[in-house]
Amino acid sequence: MALLRTAGPSEAAVIAGGTDLLLDVADGRLAPSRVISLRRLPWRTLDWNGTQLTVGSTLPLRALEQDPELPRRLPGLYQAVRAVGGVALRHRATLGGNLVRSAPASDLVPVLLSLDAEVDLIGPGGVRRLPVDRFVRASRKVDLAPGELVRSVRFPEARPSAYLWQRVRPANDISQVAVALAFSPAEHAWRVAVGGVSPRPALLPEAAHALGSGSPSAESVARAARRAGEQAGFVTDRRASVEYRRHLVGTLLTRAVAGILSQGELPP
Amino acid sequence: MTVEPLRLTVNGRPALVPDVPGNERLLDTLRWRLGMKGTKEGCRTGDCGACTVLVDGESTLSCLTLAREVEGSSVTTVEVGDEDEVVARVRAAFSAAGALQCGYCTPGFVMAVAGLLRERGTSARREEILEALGGNLCRCTGYVAIVRAVDALRAEPK
Amino acid sequence: MSARVPPIRPDGDLKLRGAAVYGTDLDVPGMLWGALVPAPVAHGRIRSIDLTAARALPGVIAIGPDEVDGLLPAGSRDEERPLFARDLVVYRNQPVAAVAAPSFGLAARAAAAVRVTVDALPIVADLESVFPEWPGSEAGTSSHVAAHVRARHGDLETEFKKADRVVREVYRTASVHQVALEPHACVGEVRDGVWYVRTSTQTPFGVREDLASLLGVPESAIVVEGTWVGGGFGGKGAPLLEPYALLLARATGRPVRLALGYRDEFRLGRTTLPAVVRMETAVTDGRIRGRRVRLLLDVGTSLPGRDFATGYSIGFLLGPYSTPSFEVEGYAVRTNKPPFGPHRAPFAPQCAFVVESHLDHVAREVGEDPEVFRSRHLWKEGDTTPLGQKVGPFGLPKAFERAVETARRWRHAAPPGHGVGVAGGFWSTSTGAGGEVRLRLTPDAVVVEQAEREIGSGSVLVGLPAVAARSLGLPVDRIRVTSPDTAHAPFDSGVFGSRTVGALGQAIIEASGRLRGILGERLGSPGPASFEIAADRLVAVAGPRRATVPELWTPEEAAAGGLLVGGRHFGRGGTIDEGRVVDGTFYPYTDFTGAAHVAQVAVDRETGAVRVERYAAFHDVGTVIDLASARAQVEGGVAMGLGTALTEEAIWSDDGRLENAGLLDYRIPTLGEIPSIEVEFLEGFLGAGPFGAKGLGEPPMVPVPAAVAIAVREASGAHVTELPLSAERVARALKLL
Repeated sequence: MALLRTAGPSEAAVIAGGTDLLLDVADGRLAPSRVISLRRLPWRTLDWNGTQLTVGSTLPLRALEQDPELPRRLPGLYQAVRAVGGVALRHRATLGGNLVRSAPASDLVPVLLSLDAEVDLIGPGGVRRLPVDRFVRASRKVDLAPGELVRSVRFPEARPSAYLWQRVRPANDISQVAVALAFSPAEHAWRVAVGGVSPRPALLPEAAHALGSGSPSAESVARAARRAGEQAGFVTDRRASVEYRRHLVGTLLTRAVAGILSQGELPP
Repeated sequence: MTVEPLRLTVNGRPALVPDVPGNERLLDTLRWRLGMKGTKEGCRTGDCGACTVLVDGESTLSCLTLAREVEGSSVTTVEVGDEDEVVARVRAAFSAAGALQCGYCTPGFVMAVAGLLRERGTSARREEILEALGGNLCRCTGYVAIVRAVDALRAEPK
Repeated sequence: MSARVPPIRPDGDLKLRGAAVYGTDLDVPGMLWGALVPAPVAHGRIRSIDLTAARALPGVIAIGPDEVDGLLPAGSRDEERPLFARDLVVYRNQPVAAVAAPSFGLAARAAAAVRVTVDALPIVADLESVFPEWPGSEAGTSSHVAAHVRARHGDLETEFKKADRVVREVYRTASVHQVALEPHACVGEVRDGVWYVRTSTQTPFGVREDLASLLGVPESAIVVEGTWVGGGFGGKGAPLLEPYALLLARATGRPVRLALGYRDEFRLGRTTLPAVVRMETAVTDGRIRGRRVRLLLDVGTSLPGRDFATGYSIGFLLGPYSTPSFEVEGYAVRTNKPPFGPHRAPFAPQCAFVVESHLDHVAREVGEDPEVFRSRHLWKEGDTTPLGQKVGPFGLPKAFERAVETARRWRHAAPPGHGVGVAGGFWSTSTGAGGEVRLRLTPDAVVVEQAEREIGSGSVLVGLPAVAARSLGLPVDRIRVTSPDTAHAPFDSGVFGSRTVGALGQAIIEASGRLRGILGERLGSPGPASFEIAADRLVAVAGPRRATVPELWTPEEAAAGGLLVGGRHFGRGGTIDEGRVVDGTFYPYTDFTGAAHVAQVAVDRETGAVRVERYAAFHDVGTVIDLASARAQVEGGVAMGLGTALTEEAIWSDDGRLENAGLLDYRIPTLGEIPSIEVEFLEGFLGAGPFGAKGLGEPPMVPVPAAVAIAVREASGAHVTELPLSAERVARALKLL
């Protein structure tokens, strides 16, 4: 930790699963003279406290995916984890690594946003807790002070939730557009987040608000889909154009609502 | 600065590999230091699965794994002998189904399927196995014969 | 003799144990690691290449254009194809220098340390920026044009004037890559005057010939040894890295390994490039009376006069359809990309997509059933092709009929939102110059000595033994195949154009006949001998006499390891009617191989996403040589074709950079994307191969994008005139955006 505090990114890099770091090194984007392994830290943990979930940052995603309670309590997270790469990748890739890399098309960041997840950070200055929405700033930019590490991610409650994506291939692909949708039983409010459409996955509060405080009517869903499509910040890139992304966000949001309603856990 | 030799178990035998720098991939340690070319080098970006090995029984992309990060682990590659019954069964099923043509993706597929069988057993759902193989690319077979091999494995008595 | 069933693949065990050595696996004592130095821009004048910093790294040798003359024999090199760009860079990442170092990491660092200064010149990245509209006649002399072809027949103008309807469309197809999973790799060594290269290649003798031209070294001083090949698909036909590996080996006095990282595999690969096709079809009384086809084909930096693609491909754009009057014209347009190179069935799947989609559209426009309309015009044996050739035995009408029957059944059972499409296609088996084999009769087996390595299809290790077994009357496990290097193997043109079983198979049949005749003679019989097996040994039988091999061979033959007999096959082409050619070179077909496919797809009406649910392929193969590997070829070819149809597209930026040079963003199909594939072989329309076989390596690719496109239209109404049929393109055609 002392080393991390004083070393810049070109001198020392932290490695958890390494699946993003090694790509950056191969690209020449990063050339750390030292790599600090987190593998001996006791952070490969997964704990349920009632319906609150705390996941250690170095737990491989495959282990998270195979937790028996996850599909029922946090179905959106389950679907998102399964969308990350392939099985072999998920044997090494970690939640912490994915979060810190904060890629525009990360499957996990939008879901974490929709679930109001928080990160627990530990550093030379002590510990602190941040909502993911504040932690993730931009691609490769997170609120980590020198020497700080992500210790764990906390999910405050079980939520009816869904993660829908549009991509070219059914597996092992990056999303053109992804929508994470969740309903907070505690607050009677929806959360809508999108990924893959802009440099930073983001919550769409207007679309969420349009869905109301329970099971939305068809008109509310249509209004929410429109709001989501109007969201600024969509980009055209080699994966999809702005117009197509706008169109897809609305379609995916509508389908995600239908999916959650069919789970049958919402108040009317 | 001298480096401690890297300790691994490879296909059941202990290996002590000198001079392995911190930034060396497991793929390269296996192929160039241990001379074990069975694990193939494809894209080197984790997208093709040709480099798949088992680390402590779990399928792993050796191109995205630092050798030092798996120090002390047990690595299984396609060169493992038939004493590894799971791998032997996978090989037999692929051979019977003719599930290979150029053979370059074959080691990766064999290890990926072996890893899945170890982890989930043959009672895993067919869709689950097929989805899990989405990370292994093949350009020759169209996957048809590979799926036949997987189906034959699932139909085998436990 | 044991009753054991031989495995489907004789090379299976080796490959399943990771014991096959591919180009990327070559590991030779004393080997150095090579790396190419890439040009930093797509077009520019080289001002300087500074090797000092690279050479300062420990153990590094660096060579640039100035060193080449000192390393290679004087004169007699192909000046049009210098190894390093001397003055002008014409495509991004074009090799401008090369380094060798004691380790992979050092080689990469050394290559990065070479300072290349280039004065940028305007970049031509996109063929439509050169010719946004169809060019006028002055384009033929433009420096942007590598080739111009034109052919015509009949009175097109009158047909167009008289027609009930003329339908005009424009189609665009994308650049696609072979994506063999093994990148290019080789090890070069120069020792005792011999330039020796071990390489992953489809064409050892072709590489030898081309190296002689590129290096100015006589062919007799070059030895090419092929390794196992991790996929070729046309991309490993011409030499790519071998000249540089040999140059570095010459410079260092050591063996040098040169292999491409996968990003460079895309950036430097020679393959199918984008195209624009204009189709015009005149219909009167339900019959096609006239067609005009105009092709603009991006050929990258292909040299003028060295482009094969345009004249070859343009015939496929007329399709296997009778047309009384036609005009075809094509321009090979130069852009700042690597040169166009052959893919599997080069450009033919794109041509079939255009022809089939267009004629399907034409039929709908004139109120005809699209399948009936196309059937009506399909070539039959004895018809004359547009370029004046007589159509030989041709199974496409029958295959098309089977496909239509299947499509009708599937349509009947298809849920809403699904569509079924039928597409036909044809192919012509290549011949190359020809090939030779030697059969070596040993006491317990016949060994086939020939030049080719097995690249995956099974043509060498399954097809050739099957032909040998059948013509010798032996079980297939009594046949072995060897692939010695070019110093020891008999000549063969190479594995391409679906020719391997055809050409070498015929050579085997000739040699087999000769061998059986010689044995018959030695047994005192006027006719050929046949074989039996006794006590695990071969026994030759003729009339009342029988003998084992050691009883029949001479002492010299015994010392040489067996009774050797040769066989040959010469490439034979057809002829076209040159009177129909106005400009450029057109290519005759050597045979007529048909394929008709059926695709059932589901289209998501909200997102445009296409899912292929079911597929069937009907193939006119002449004779099936080996059923399992024939099926495997169709399955693999269909899967590859689905990539061309739906997901594969190399995206080039305005500054000549390949944007998606990697396997994440260049998407080949994964396991979950392949539907069930039914395969049916139609035999009896004989080709020129052994026992009437036709080549099967490439035909399965040809109808795939067409079948999918027509199915998509039926499922959703979306008429997409571009490849690939991405979800976004379908969504646009559905007017969702």
